[in-house]
Parts: sequence; structure tokens; C-alpha cells
Amino acid sequence: MVILALLALFSGIACGLSGAGASVLSFLTSHVDVILCLLMFLVGISVGLHRGLLTNLRKYHIRIFIIPAGVVAGSLAGGMLCGLVTPFSMGESTAVACGLGWYSLTGVTLGNLAGAQIGSIAFLSNLMREIFSFFCIPILSRRLNSYSCIASAGATSEDTTLPMMIKYTDEETVVLSVINGVICSALVPVLISVCYQIF
Amino acid sequence: MYLIPVMCLGILIGRWIFPEKYKKLNERLQTVCTIILIFCMGVTLGSRDNFLGELKALGIQSFLFFLIPTALSVILVFAATRRLMDRRGEVKE
Repeated sequence: MVILALLALFSGIACGLSGAGASVLSFLTSHVDVILCLLMFLVGISVGLHRGLLTNLRKYHIRIFIIPAGVVAGSLAGGMLCGLVTPFSMGESTAVACGLGWYSLTGVTLGNLAGAQIGSIAFLSNLMREIFSFFCIPILSRRLNSYSCIASAGATSEDTTLPMMIKYTDEETVVLSVINGVICSALVPVLISVCYQIF
Repeated sequence: MYLIPVMCLGILIGRWIFPEKYKKLNERLQTVCTIILIFCMGVTLGSRDNFLGELKALGIQSFLFFLIPTALSVILVFAATRRLMDRRGEVKE
């Protein structure tokens, strides 16, 4: 799966750079939402086939928020560290890190707020987070635990990285992953503007 | 946010209607969709104006901005969940 995913990514980049088959590619990229929708539906079926899931989830209670809290705190601390080792201000650094993998929103928002250079860094770093999560979920689930996979995926854990979750973790982690993704995605726009203004 | 209702619909169908014998087929379809999504991500990146130039100029700084926050998130969540939740969702009292 990882090899297939790598092949798909690099052949996609090659096609995008060369512009080969532009009409087919443009059709495909303009219908990404439909594919994502279908994927979420199929993942939902997998979750639905797993009996006793709700009973298991109830056991988490308030501690279901441990994962999103850890994701936000870790990213914020990482942003502060980046502020110390790069020429960017603490506000810019924490705002970039608080994208939590949502590269499109973070890139555009920070591009408008702080200029093209930090916008590009926000786009690239959050994109790297999403791509890294794709390829590291198998390793993290084996070496650490399945919750760590959700942590690396950040806000993308509710959609794009979800199929890797279901392949390499279990249905229970998939539901926790969706909950984490929803919370993180709701927090990203707030965190970006708060961090940029406060620090 | 429309993805959540779609997933809930899938959960209901999986719970009440979907035959268990097609579980493998469902998993294969998920893999196909994932590969198409990753391919599309690559196409979007490759089509971005000056993508390689940006990567060359800002690649190292972007890598730091990805690596440090992601690593700290993973470490924090790993430490917290190891202490407060075990692998099967049994909350430790």
C-alpha cells in the first residue's frame, strides 16, 4: 500500500508538472470531493460492520479529548521551538504549526495575513505533515500505538488519512480519528488568527 | 463538514444492510479511492506555479515547521494515551 501510494504521489506530481492529459487530470482533480465522499461512505460501512463499537467508545468518556488536546499542545510547542531556530516571529511560527496539516487553508490564510513567503512555508510544511502521516501510519501503529497515528495526521485525520488508519489500526481508532479531525479542523482557523495576533 | 453525514450514512448501511461477505470488496474499493486521491494530490502539487522552485527555496524551513510540531504532537499523545488509555479503549482508573 505504501509503495502504491508513493507511486501515485510521484506519478501525480510528474503529470502535473508535464501537463500531460490535462483534460483528464483537470476532470479528476475537480471531482476530488466526489472521490473523498465515496471513500468516507465506504469507511463508514467498515465502521458499521464492526459490532460493539459504540459500547467501547463510551468507555473513553471525557478522555476522548486527550488526543486533540495533545495534538494542539504538541503543535503549538513545536511552533514555538521553530520560532527560536528560524528567522520568523513567534506569532508566524506558531500560526504555521497550528495548521495541523490543513495545508490549503493555512497556506492561503497566512499568505494573506503575513505575506507570500510564510504562506508558502505554511502550505509546504502542512502538506509535508499530511504526506508524512500517510506513509508513517504503518510504522507509528506498530512501534508506538494507534493513537499516535491520529496525532501525526492532525486535522487531516477525519478525511484524507482515514483510509490508512482503517488499514493499519482498527475501527475504534477510526472513529476516534474522525472525532479528533472534526475538533482540530474547527480549531485551526481560530488558532491561526489567535497565535498570529497574540505571540 | 458534509463528509461526516456521508460517513454516518455508511455506518448505518454497514450496521443494518451491508452483507458481511462483501467486506473485502469494500476494503479494496477504499484502497482504489485512496490511491486516486493521492494521485490527485500529486497532480495539484505538480500543477502549482513554481512548485519545484518553492520547494528548493523554502524546503528546509518548511521541513522544520513540519517535523518539530508533528514529532512533539506524536510524543505528547503517545505519552498521554499510554498513561490514561490502553489499546482497547479501557480507560485506566
